[in-house]
Amino acid sequence: MTKNRIKEGIRLTALNIFFIVWCFIALIPILYAASVSLSGQNGLLSSEFSFIPKDFTLDNYKEVVFGENILTWFKNTFFLAVVTVSLSLLIAVPAAYCFSRRRFPGRKGILKCLVLLNSFPAILSMFAIYRLLRPMGLINHRLGLILVYTGTMAVFSLWNTKGYFDTIPTEIEEAAKIDGASDIQSVLMIVLPLAKPSIITTALQVLIYVWNEYIYATTFMTGENKYTLAAGLYSLQATEMRGSWPVFAAASITVSIPVLIIFFICQKYMTSGLTAGGVKE
Amino acid sequence: MKKHKRDVIISYGWSFPSLILIALMVVFPIFYTAYISLTNMNVYHWFDFAVVGLDNYFRALFVFDSGFLSALFATIVWTVVNMVLQLIIAFVLVSLLNIQKLKLRKIYKTLLMFPWAMPGYVSILLWKTGMFNTQFGLLNQWMKKLGYEAVRWLSNDISAFICCTVVNLWLALPFMIMIMDGAMQSIDRSYYESAILDGADWLKRTRYITIPAIAPIISPAVIITVFTTFKQFDVVYLLTQQAGAKTGSGFHTILTYTYENAFITNNYGYSSAISIIIFILLLVLSARYQMKEGDR
Repeated sequence: MTKNRIKEGIRLTALNIFFIVWCFIALIPILYAASVSLSGQNGLLSSEFSFIPKDFTLDNYKEVVFGENILTWFKNTFFLAVVTVSLSLLIAVPAAYCFSRRRFPGRKGILKCLVLLNSFPAILSMFAIYRLLRPMGLINHRLGLILVYTGTMAVFSLWNTKGYFDTIPTEIEEAAKIDGASDIQSVLMIVLPLAKPSIITTALQVLIYVWNEYIYATTFMTGENKYTLAAGLYSLQATEMRGSWPVFAAASITVSIPVLIIFFICQKYMTSGLTAGGVKE
Repeated sequence: MKKHKRDVIISYGWSFPSLILIALMVVFPIFYTAYISLTNMNVYHWFDFAVVGLDNYFRALFVFDSGFLSALFATIVWTVVNMVLQLIIAFVLVSLLNIQKLKLRKIYKTLLMFPWAMPGYVSILLWKTGMFNTQFGLLNQWMKKLGYEAVRWLSNDISAFICCTVVNLWLALPFMIMIMDGAMQSIDRSYYESAILDGADWLKRTRYITIPAIAPIISPAVIITVFTTFKQFDVVYLLTQQAGAKTGSGFHTILTYTYENAFITNNYGYSSAISIIIFILLLVLSARYQMKEGDR
């Protein structure tokens, strides 16, 4: 009996050690960046490496936060994000509601097309979009990026919110209508509050997309003062030739923190909202 | 009858802003790409391009050293390798996580989710500088300690492929772990108990209970992951093919290959032809595997 216990104890310890080592290895890139971002420039040159920063300093973060570029990039990103998210929701929610509740000719066909369009990678038509926006003066202009982002996310937003509306029983609305609520009233007062999880997920997905998108932002915008955070970080990166690795590490950590916070607070929303909207038999 | 007509108008009215935006920013560019693919548009022919018919398609599909076919082949190998490794590693980790007496499970799970929570492009750039860079990269610091020369990890095809695979696995595993974990927890414990009574070992239980039980649950997520792996751009582009900072590796997925032809070598017509070929390929594949979700 005790022998078995000991055996099991050893196995559990081994298992725990395995997971601790695995998690540590998995987090090495992040830990290393965090440690570098907190060390002074000379710490880098010594070959002795440790995960505890040497010459502990916040200089790199100071440079990130007070360097004028990052503030501009943050403002640009913030503006883009707010406009894109509100615009996306404003157009997606009514459409999603119609596609979920109403039956009209063309509905099924459009829905099928949307599924197919969802598999189309936006990068493939990037050149065509560039060529279309250029004569309109929308290249190197915020409005251009807003249109591109909202358009790219429109299929997802519509599909995701529609999927969630489908799970809300129609009986609730019918009951409200019997009590004398108009169509719009029942949507605003009953359906939208119930659909909150999916609206939040959709908004967050759009927000994170704008926050993380770098390829359109670097290709369509020129001039560092028009960059978004992602594009700016991309231009900051330390290559073999130039750039400061500690400052870049500090900037990376700074940019990631809001996303990490959103992710871990909303993890439940994210996964349940996504699976309820997207994948269902 | 009249009410019916009004209903249709109302439906389209509310959907109009969304549909028109999709039409203008998604559908129309695809048609425009199709048109460009039939021309010889490039830097020298920005305005005075001519329609050349199917030449670009011919070049992509039948001229073997054009690079498209090898990029397509590399992408298929990439997708298979990544999916196999992802499924095996996630399965092993999740099986171990679900051993009943493991008390710290929650902490491990949270830590394992970190790579997913980080912004993808930031992680990739951190890998590029923090791990693979010849000066600051950890891998080379370790190599130096062991007495070897610094290696340029991203400069040849094979090692670049391996590095990209490692980074892609790092990014993709959390999602797979989460999906598999959910599936595995939905299995009724009593199956295992009676299997143990019947004397089935771990291998048999896995083969006859676990895998058949989780396969249908995880399959939609797996299909989605196959598509995202096939359409991978960020990992390969940011690690090795950045405009102005190429590392010398020739490994391309079809998307980085298309981007290169559009924005680096400026063969717009040719690049558009590839775009259309990829689009058709994806349409066929997703009609086959993803359409079922839309049937409702």
